[in-house]
Amino acid sequence: MNRRRFMTLTGSTLAMLGGGHALAQGQPRLRIDPTEFRPIPIAITNFVPGSPADGDVSNGVTQVITNNLKRSGLFAPIDQAAFIERINSIDVAPQFQNWKTLNAQALVTGRMTRQPDGRLKAEFRLWDVITGQQLAGQQYFTSPEYWRRIAHIISDQIYEQMTGEKGYFDSRVVFVDESGPKERRVKRLAMMDQDGANVRYLTRGADLVLTPRFSPNSQEITYMEFGQGDPKVYLFNIETGQREIVGNFPGMTFAPRFSPDGQRVIMSLQQGGNSNLFVMDLRSRSTTRLTDTPAIDTSPSYSPDGTRICFESDRGGRSQIYVMAAGGGQAQRISFSKDDNNATYSTPVWSPRGDYIAFTRQGGGQFSIGVMKPDGSGERLLTSGFHNEGPTFSPNGRVVMFFRDPGGNSGPSLFSVDISGRFEQKVPTPGFASDPAWSPLLSATAGQ
Amino acid sequence: MNVDKTLVASIALHVLVIGWGLLTFSSKAFIAPEESLPIDIISSDQLAQITNGQKTGKKEEPKPKVEKIAEAKPEEDAVGKVTEKKELIKTNSTPDTPPPKPVEKPVEKKPEPPKPVAEAKPKEEPKPQEKKPDPAKEDPIAELQKKLDTKKPPPKPVEQKVAAVQPQPKPKERTFDPAQIARDLDKRAATRHELTGSTLNASASLGSTSGTAANNVATWQGAFQGAVKRCFTPTYNGQDANQYEADIDIPMRIDGSLASEPVIVAVRGPSRSIAQAVAESAKRAIVQCQVYSFLPKQQYDSWKVIPMTFGLKDML
Repeated sequence: MNRRRFMTLTGSTLAMLGGGHALAQGQPRLRIDPTEFRPIPIAITNFVPGSPADGDVSNGVTQVITNNLKRSGLFAPIDQAAFIERINSIDVAPQFQNWKTLNAQALVTGRMTRQPDGRLKAEFRLWDVITGQQLAGQQYFTSPEYWRRIAHIISDQIYEQMTGEKGYFDSRVVFVDESGPKERRVKRLAMMDQDGANVRYLTRGADLVLTPRFSPNSQEITYMEFGQGDPKVYLFNIETGQREIVGNFPGMTFAPRFSPDGQRVIMSLQQGGNSNLFVMDLRSRSTTRLTDTPAIDTSPSYSPDGTRICFESDRGGRSQIYVMAAGGGQAQRISFSKDDNNATYSTPVWSPRGDYIAFTRQGGGQFSIGVMKPDGSGERLLTSGFHNEGPTFSPNGRVVMFFRDPGGNSGPSLFSVDISGRFEQKVPTPGFASDPAWSPLLSATAGQ
Repeated sequence: MNVDKTLVASIALHVLVIGWGLLTFSSKAFIAPEESLPIDIISSDQLAQITNGQKTGKKEEPKPKVEKIAEAKPEEDAVGKVTEKKELIKTNSTPDTPPPKPVEKPVEKKPEPPKPVAEAKPKEEPKPQEKKPDPAKEDPIAELQKKLDTKKPPPKPVEQKVAAVQPQPKPKERTFDPAQIARDLDKRAATRHELTGSTLNASASLGSTSGTAANNVATWQGAFQGAVKRCFTPTYNGQDANQYEADIDIPMRIDGSLASEPVIVAVRGPSRSIAQAVAESAKRAIVQCQVYSFLPKQQYDSWKVIPMTFGLKDML
């Protein structure tokens, strides 16, 4: 072997040993593009209770995590009845062959232990069954009454580790709870976890409430209420229960929404038969007019970077979606139906990721929920039916929640659908529910 | 010590001969017979069934149908029958007489007297006459047309004709006679022009032509792709899924197992974390689906390292 050949071989060997470098130089690459989506098989074992008294909360956490991942549509939790191995300690590595047999790709183990100071300690590990590696391992301490939130946070960790995206389980939804007969329907402001648990009523139902929206730190809600005079936009503090009117306008104000920095509220103000967009600075209480047209401009929503606004307007004859700069100016229409010239678009809302605008589309005798890119391209209807309305994005922009009214003497209910339109499901609520608004991720806003 | 020189020479010679023999006559390494890929024996009916086209299948060739090489010309009706026949022309003559110039007659007809009969006829008359030239059969409309031609009234301005025609009730003359339905029908076959383009492409039927037989060629590449695909469960199905790709090199042993962990060479996509998750998912699939014992050992050099790209472009 001459010296030159030896150097070449050594170089090749080193290249093979180095991670991240191509081993196959110059060879054509085989390509795989799966044509169908299949959820990840995942085994979620019962969390081990630190003491017999922790059995209920351990099972509860396991159930919440299982439900969260299953409802996301991206995971297929394996039935526990099929488990071969029983996890008694999370400090010992599982026998991965037992889980490979079940075709599980990931395994979740955990433990819930009551601490001497009364707090609850939650530990979990996420294992890659195929490679036998631990993908994540965390422990949390919390008050026992917040065990569900711990389960949501663990669900988010698993979701992020397996998908590469932030989760959305540790979040809340504010909505309008509806009860009573249709002609005398009582509408109350209510709030719950994204999975329908922990429902809490914020108003008593004496006055009609509409279009509640979370502030970016999830501590305040802005909404419209029909009081004694004209309907007004209010601010409601969740912690203190105090509320105040946003601005002192002569006419009706409606369709409020916070700016991404939480410093401003944008809304519609009725002026005669028209309505225009105004924004109010919450610190200085100064207002700025954004549109001035002889039309109805409403349902404004900021882009996540706060530089643009999408809103609906009938300035062209029919309700359509427009986009303009956050400071006002020339608006550009982005909604154009390809198959129905009479279709109208309304209630636009910008995704927290900034990639899509969700909307309600009315056409062909149906109400549809859809998404389109901010330039109006890539329109895709996610669901259609008799009456679907009021979309709101999950904190990670992957799921859209909306309300559906089947008509007749029944009432509206909340539904969620992922942005591919594949996984639609009902969101449990105590009674009829409408106008949902999803909060940001609570763990992400905790420091704000 | 006295050593016999012949003995030494003999030993040396034997050593040389045996050594040469060992080197020269050493047998070559045993090469296992070529291993065949597992196959299923199917009947000709089954083969026909899986290679049938699918009406609902995904079109593998989105190019428009082209039947003739020429300058591309859009054609609205691509289903009708192709014909080279000339357009039918209206005539009142018998089959023996040459047909009159096309276009002339209709042009002349328009300014003719505003008699309702003359207006009603041009639509119905020419079709049966041209297609079914039967001189023995008396056509009342043709007869009427002849009479009109013999009168040859002076042409009048178009304005007058239009004004006069409008109040005339046309339906009065279009009496429906069930016994003459066959005569009134347009007996011409549906026609259209050939679809033209720069290259011939005769595949314009519904669905795919290859049917359910995705790949009937038994290559180890196809078998390997199919095996890994069974275990690949990427989690991302957003609308920009087609932008995500992961290049992974797979070092293999000759027995079809992995020589080492698959190497992520590159990931592409709008979100780095999502692209990385796609790559990790692909790695899991490769490890999970081993051992790939069907890979042909005699071709080990060609799959010692298998370079693969995992994409999501078909996930939408």
